[in-house]
Amino acid sequence: MTFSACASGTLGPSILRISSAWAESHGDLDQETMDAMIRMARLLFPHEAMSDEFYAEVLDGALSATASDSSFAALLTAADDALNSVKSGRWIDLDEEQQLAVMREVEGMGFFAAIQGAVRAGIYLNPVFWEHIGYLGSSKEFGGYINRGFDDIDWLPEDL
Amino acid sequence: MAKTYDLSDDSVTVVVGSGAGGGTLSNELAQKGIDVVCLEAGGRLSLADIVNDPPAMHGKLTWLDKRLGAPVGLLCKTVGGTTMRWTAIALRIQEHEFKALSTYGKLDDTTLIDWPLTLEELAPYYDKAEDKMGVTGTHGIPPSFETNNYKVLKAGGKRVGYKEITSERTAINSVARDGRPACQQIGFCVSGCAIGAKWSTLYTEIPKAEQTDHFELRTGAMVLKINHDDSGKVTSVVYVDSDGNRQEQKARAVCVAGNVVETTRLLHNSSSGMFPDGLGNTSGHLGRNYMRHMTHISYAIMPKPVNFHRGTRISGLIMDERHNKPERGFAGGYFIETGAADPYSVSAMINGWGEETGDFMDNYTNLAGVFITGEDPSEARNRIRFHDTEKDGYGLPVPILDYKMHPNTVAMREHSIEKSRDIFESLGARRFIATGGGAGCHNMGVARMSENPDDGVTNRWGRVHDIPNLFVSDGSVFSSSGAGNPTLTIVSLAIRQADHIAESMAKKEL
Repeated sequence: MTFSACASGTLGPSILRISSAWAESHGDLDQETMDAMIRMARLLFPHEAMSDEFYAEVLDGALSATASDSSFAALLTAADDALNSVKSGRWIDLDEEQQLAVMREVEGMGFFAAIQGAVRAGIYLNPVFWEHIGYLGSSKEFGGYINRGFDDIDWLPEDL
Repeated sequence: MAKTYDLSDDSVTVVVGSGAGGGTLSNELAQKGIDVVCLEAGGRLSLADIVNDPPAMHGKLTWLDKRLGAPVGLLCKTVGGTTMRWTAIALRIQEHEFKALSTYGKLDDTTLIDWPLTLEELAPYYDKAEDKMGVTGTHGIPPSFETNNYKVLKAGGKRVGYKEITSERTAINSVARDGRPACQQIGFCVSGCAIGAKWSTLYTEIPKAEQTDHFELRTGAMVLKINHDDSGKVTSVVYVDSDGNRQEQKARAVCVAGNVVETTRLLHNSSSGMFPDGLGNTSGHLGRNYMRHMTHISYAIMPKPVNFHRGTRISGLIMDERHNKPERGFAGGYFIETGAADPYSVSAMINGWGEETGDFMDNYTNLAGVFITGEDPSEARNRIRFHDTEKDGYGLPVPILDYKMHPNTVAMREHSIEKSRDIFESLGARRFIATGGGAGCHNMGVARMSENPDDGVTNRWGRVHDIPNLFVSDGSVFSSSGAGNPTLTIVSLAIRQADHIAESMAKKEL
């Protein structure tokens, strides 16, 4: 599942274009489910620099892209149910180690890979994340990197 | 684009596919005054259509019809075929690799044979192909620019003792040449080169062929079947045109270059009373001996920034491991090439979740990477076959790709992963990961050349053994995989095949 080396497709950048009205409603999901999914998204792809709002926007993007059939909402609901069924009490109240252990238990279930793929696309195709890591995206309009540091590495040992 | 041919014109040579094999063959034939109709299933992009947006280009370039089994990558449905997406490393198959069976012996469960031609015989055509494609380090063309990622590979390679390290052998212009500009280090090579610095048939072979007045390109033309007469010679091809109408183009000869899956499917789907198992399948080898190279893409978190997204995806390589040294525990060899990707593609290749994945992505700018490609011995079980009942949008049986790594490939992969790790750790990498990325972007075999008709589908010219005017003109004809990226050999074989077809026509043998 990669566009770069050997490719087959998945959700594209369109999932990033969401309306603020949609984001406030999270589709039909209740806030408790949404909170758990934000936590799950962060544990899937943990980035300290990114806020909970960022992860919420990533989820809202996927919800919005599938609003017509609610397919992503159904996946999140299934994930929430599964996470909460492994141990007594709410999954979100467990400590991080236990939360991860529960995620590994449900990793083989159908929803997991689908959510993982959608969240991965939502984060790593996201210009907000790109800014965090210093990736600049499209370069042809700037003439590529021929004059912008394609060969500027300066820390390699001099003898090599 | 002035020239057009009638559907009833049986003097034309039909070429199926416009990529490295089909695009090159079409132009070579047209330059010799041979009339060619090239049928391409995809559409024709211009440079202005090429944007630095991998998901968008994935949608524009990729063959997206349903396929089952082992996933393949980079297969394209567009004028130019995989030359739109290739990384442009242009390596010759080595002398010993042409003699796979003689060199490696009868490895268990393999179907190794020697090629029915030698490096010495193909060398003049390699030379022509390198000139045509503008391969750096040949024909006086300067080396490729050394990107940050290459500088890391070179330094690490030297530190672990490698000697054969080069930034040559890339078909991306290091200087303006052949009407195309020098590389600007844009960095989205596998999504199509937006300025045409990377060789692709879209803006080299195809327009040159169009200038000859001996060539017609029909886009959106999906070939369904090849017909033959009672003598066993092919006579026409049936295709669906861009308006969805079924057409039949008469032909003097037919050359199939649809990449391994579509080439197999077309020959298979052309079965008849005379050839009940498909054209070229008298030996039972059609679709078998499917090879896809030992590959992996690995990343390391280096101590300081590399910014490997700046510049060409592959800008150089280490060649020391290409030799056959059985003492390493496997037959054949491999190349260690630079490998870079955009953030999303890196995350998809890592294909994991949790702390490690997050760490790699947080440190994207510090990543260095390699792409490895090595010899993959042929096996009968590795094959392309077809679903009994399920059809795709063309009404053709859905292809199923059976592929498992041979133990030799597994052993080579493990060796290459450890060597890659050593290279990066010698420079202080704090984390290394070998991904499954890269699998299935080099596809070979399925209609292999063989001296003995019982051992393969095509002869030393890529001519189907028992059908004198049917040719295979893509990587399907590889008798063995060799270690290096296959495109240069596909192009060289196409140039050579064009000479053979022209000579055969001149002698009235075709």
